[in-house]
Amino acid sequence: MSAIEAVYIFDEHNNLLLSHTYTGRPSPPSVLLPLYLQHAAPRSSVLYFPALNPSTVLYSIIQDNLLFFSPSSGTDTGEPLLVLEFLHRVADALEEFLGSPLLASKIAGNYDVVAQILAEIADAGVVCQGEANALRDVVETGPGVLNNLLGKVGLPGNASVPGLSGGGGGSLGIGGSGGLQRPGSGISSLQPAQTAQGSAIPWRRSNVRHTSNELYVDIVETLSVTLAPSGRPLAAFAYGSIAFTSKVSGVPDLLLSLSTGGKGAGMGHRGDQLRSVMERTVFHPCVRLARWKSEGVLSFVPPDGRFALCGYEVELLGADTPLTAGKNAYSSLGLPAGVEVTTGLGTSGNDFEVRLTQPTNAGGAGSAAAASLQSNLGGGGGLGSRPSSFRAGAAGSGDSKGPSLENLVVRVPLPTAVRNVTELRPSKGEAHWSPVDGCVEWKVAAKDFGPMGAVLRCTIQGPLAADSDDAGAVMNGLTATTYDYNDDEPSAYQASEKTEKHSNGVSVPVSREAKVAKSRELMPTSSTLSFGVKGWLASGLKVESLLLDNKKSRGLGQEVKPYKGVKYLTVSREGIEVRC
Amino acid sequence: MYRSEPSLTFFSAVVKNVASASLEVKKLVYIYLVHHAEAEPDLALLSINAIQKSLTDSNPQVRVMALRTMSGIRVPVISQIVSLAIKRGCGDMSPHVRKAAALAIPKCYRLDPNTLPQLTGYLSTLLGDSQYFVVGPAVAAFLDLCPDELDLIHKPYRSLVKKLADMDEWGQLATLRLLTFYARKCFPRRTQKVKPSAPVAFYDDEKNEQESQDTGEEYEVQVTDPDLELLLRACKPLLQSRNSAVIVSVVRCYLYLASPDYIAEAVGPLVALMRTPQDMQHIALFNIVAVAMRIPKPFAKYTAHFLVHANDPPHIWRLKLEVLTILFPHCGKHWKGVIISELEHFSKGTDPELVRESVRAIGRCAQGDTSTADMCLRILLGQISSLDGNLVSESLTVIRHLIQQDPTSHKSTVLQLVKNLGTTTHPDARATIIWLIGEFAGVEPENNIAPDVLRILIKGFADETEIVKQQIVLLGAKVYLHHLLQNPPKEKPEAPAPTETAEKPTKEYPNEWADNADEGQENADQSTKENEGELEQPEAKEEETEDRITLLWRYILLLARYDTSYDLRDRARLYKNLLETPSSVQLANLLLLAPKPVPHAPSPSETRKDLLIGSATLVVGPEAGYLGLPGYSNLPDWVVPGQEPNPSLRIDETKPDISSTTTTSTAGDRLDRALLNGYAESQSQQRLDRCRSRWKEDTGPVASGRRGRGGH
Repeated sequence: MSAIEAVYIFDEHNNLLLSHTYTGRPSPPSVLLPLYLQHAAPRSSVLYFPALNPSTVLYSIIQDNLLFFSPSSGTDTGEPLLVLEFLHRVADALEEFLGSPLLASKIAGNYDVVAQILAEIADAGVVCQGEANALRDVVETGPGVLNNLLGKVGLPGNASVPGLSGGGGGSLGIGGSGGLQRPGSGISSLQPAQTAQGSAIPWRRSNVRHTSNELYVDIVETLSVTLAPSGRPLAAFAYGSIAFTSKVSGVPDLLLSLSTGGKGAGMGHRGDQLRSVMERTVFHPCVRLARWKSEGVLSFVPPDGRFALCGYEVELLGADTPLTAGKNAYSSLGLPAGVEVTTGLGTSGNDFEVRLTQPTNAGGAGSAAAASLQSNLGGGGGLGSRPSSFRAGAAGSGDSKGPSLENLVVRVPLPTAVRNVTELRPSKGEAHWSPVDGCVEWKVAAKDFGPMGAVLRCTIQGPLAADSDDAGAVMNGLTATTYDYNDDEPSAYQASEKTEKHSNGVSVPVSREAKVAKSRELMPTSSTLSFGVKGWLASGLKVESLLLDNKKSRGLGQEVKPYKGVKYLTVSREGIEVRC
Repeated sequence: MYRSEPSLTFFSAVVKNVASASLEVKKLVYIYLVHHAEAEPDLALLSINAIQKSLTDSNPQVRVMALRTMSGIRVPVISQIVSLAIKRGCGDMSPHVRKAAALAIPKCYRLDPNTLPQLTGYLSTLLGDSQYFVVGPAVAAFLDLCPDELDLIHKPYRSLVKKLADMDEWGQLATLRLLTFYARKCFPRRTQKVKPSAPVAFYDDEKNEQESQDTGEEYEVQVTDPDLELLLRACKPLLQSRNSAVIVSVVRCYLYLASPDYIAEAVGPLVALMRTPQDMQHIALFNIVAVAMRIPKPFAKYTAHFLVHANDPPHIWRLKLEVLTILFPHCGKHWKGVIISELEHFSKGTDPELVRESVRAIGRCAQGDTSTADMCLRILLGQISSLDGNLVSESLTVIRHLIQQDPTSHKSTVLQLVKNLGTTTHPDARATIIWLIGEFAGVEPENNIAPDVLRILIKGFADETEIVKQQIVLLGAKVYLHHLLQNPPKEKPEAPAPTETAEKPTKEYPNEWADNADEGQENADQSTKENEGELEQPEAKEEETEDRITLLWRYILLLARYDTSYDLRDRARLYKNLLETPSSVQLANLLLLAPKPVPHAPSPSETRKDLLIGSATLVVGPEAGYLGLPGYSNLPDWVVPGQEPNPSLRIDETKPDISSTTTTSTAGDRLDRALLNGYAESQSQQRLDRCRSRWKEDTGPVASGRRGRGGH
């Protein structure tokens, strides 16, 4: 069985923040870090160092700018996914206790908590407790634990341990309030259960008590869409996850029903419809799989606090659409915005144009979903949408009930040969060229983005040598072949070229051809679109109802009706990619 | 301590607090103690007493901590005490303590391997435990301690399988690993797969007949051992686990143990791992490649998941391209088109690595599916006129491979390449084309373009790069050789000159030099004249060809002789001597016109095909050496029928009525049950607690623990 040998955590400047050895004699962090840094930038999460003695496999993840290492050098180098999952769980647990995002100062300020977490999560390298929520039962977070110990040891407070005092001060400074140091302590009933047996439910801590009982369902879908140069969608997925926040006393037993919003109709009963939309689901262990299979509802006893209830995948292209969908890809997918890139413009072909468009019917579909959402929430019995969820982005659309588009960003990565982007002319928003990343980033405020769309035109400059080469290239007799290969260019490019040629006159067709061919290498080959839409889901899923089963639940008074909130969010983190 | 700053100086002061009543302080002290005990064994031993006292604390949590800490202290002297503590822990009635005992077993073994027999005894108790979260760590300990003593597993096998769905993810991982090995060793394969990648030829009848003797049914089609079936079915709910490692483990289980129906079900969840964070996505892709190489079919419908995104880092897109090429032959027409145009798109990109890989991928696609080879070739041919030298040379390499695989049908392709020779400037590309022409110089001797190409090339000889010059010389040699072979060598007037062969070139060297220099000079003049003549009347060549080719050859030699490159001069001299005498012409024939082996461009991960999926060795690949990383072991072969352990060993005496339907019970179901009698349980637990403390006084904790558990 593969064992976790150690966990090392580095901060964003690669200073060692923490090292915890579980078992064996793993290579120290001071040895591993330089070897890790030797590898070029996008580093693999599994690296093998045969030169070390003993030869070591290093697993690493990066979360919130912190670098997590776990070396494995023993007799069994184990299963990579196990170790990586473990590292992610460590990061999650730290986040749960110290608050998100994870900051170096927070870890340094709470070594006592961190030490307990790391000691509990794995014992001598065997992972034994991955549930952050269950750790709540065994990790002491009460204030003054460390001081209590230090007092008994005879050390004056925290002055004698430089790391601790420094770290503590830092965390206070950043957070601005004492609450940060013990982020958990604000919530009631965080004292670990002193019960003899621990919780009966492995993922839920025992003796949960809340003064206000709240339940929130957040459905977040992340888009991943690839569009061919013609605008035809090649692949379109939405990766959804249901984040559930439960702040209910006792042991609640919940029933969450979702509906597909009309998709998959005629697929038999509701469970089948739902499953035809939500594909390849994964669940938190609390979900009763049998009921999902038979009825298509999520029945579960939640852990306390926020957790990922379910992950799923939605194929936005139907089984038949790939062949039929034409140019109106954006509207067929219901995306709120689209991008088109035209390259090879201008007299010497070194301009390109990015056009941001708004399909006509996207807003309608979205608001319909939102409207039905409202009605459903009303019927759900005490469900109310969280006021913040819709109003925050409402400034753009003006309609607080309609979904609102935010953070519209277009990124156009340019080849490394591009020396400079001389002109950036956005019709709306602001654009800038970042030489370090090698891309043009164009931000459009949601309120500027109307049905007319927006246009960005850029002129790029190639390397110095390329410009002077032009004459030579023509001399070599390129004319015959450049015409040939234009045949497989996208049609838009050709059309624009022809018109350009006409306006140019025919006096210098050869040099224009050569220039265009030259600058074609400098043209972007793709662009990505990022945005967020609140109150709308690409899949059309809806929360139908969220019921608390009073018979099965325990520790919650009959009359208590928890406050329920639902939030929908669709984001694209460079997820919409347009080839050109 | 965590900053690697010295904290050892406080050791005695901290350890004094080990007896502190406060639970919180105790925890921190324990952590400190475990960390530093090795450096201060004597002082650490002083704390043992206090810890031992905690072992009998009434609070199970304290007992858990004490047991864990004690076993964690790395001082070998205490191994017997630890062993005793584990023994007591195994009989504890709190499952949490039993879990801690299970976790302590490997630690104790590491302290002192001599305790193995005792520990194995404890393990067999724990493996049969009724609590699912005790069994998980027990299995982990078993794998650590004695993974080969499978006899221990027979009895708890069915209960392990039953508990699989309820365990936590880490327990599931350990159990799946154990049971996969166990199944290979204990369930003989009664269905003979000819090859995992060819599911059509699934049954080997002969074997079936032999093996079906023990079951007695002659027409039995597929015999999966019912116990194995139990395991496979129990795995199914795990496919919806959120833990990617569990999913890969199930896939491994299905891939190596089960029929293709099962693996087809597991493919979807495996593909779903593509939405995990990038680090895990990378590992998942390795596994996907490994599985897809064996069984590509079920992946075909997920092709869309493997499209390369512009912001994928190199290690991701490399694997994605590979998956695409593996799936290519199994896709529908639509997707084939999409894949090809995707690859074409990336081959026009700017990242040289990506360009190279995608061009190679096109080549692999063409290899994998001959019906699209033409389309691929057309795309590649379209690319050789690109301005991007990198793309051109890579495309040509792939084209060369494709042509070599099926030379007879590609004559026209070569012609087309020749047309491009005029415009291609990239040296590698030119060299490749010239080499190809040389390979085709022998076909259709009366209507071959090779001499003509050679004639044109020679004109610009001086301006070519060295690599191209070499190929030109080689082409010349081949053309000349063909010419010699077709015409009796007698006709050559040059033949009488030197009869020496390559045996004594050093002797003849100065002579030859002078000799040929003159000769060359003449020939140069002649050949230039001839060339001009040829240009004017290209059709009328039949009669004069012999002379012309000879002249061409001499001219090349002359040009090469005065080249600046040693290498080129040496090569030219070698060919010259080879072709000079009729006796060595046969030798030259062998050398120059030897049939070239057909190049095969395998998928980059071909070398990893046989590695166990889910293992680190699969990810590291060939770098890990022949035997893989330390600790790597592939699955054992199926046990030979007749040598498997008696299935009756697996019958669990205590619970004989195990039906396969109960295996699908989930944690949720269990929870329902727990909730129903939750109060009752906790009350009885408290009562037992009280009883236990009473018993402790007279019979000692071990006995009490046992009886307590029985009552529970």
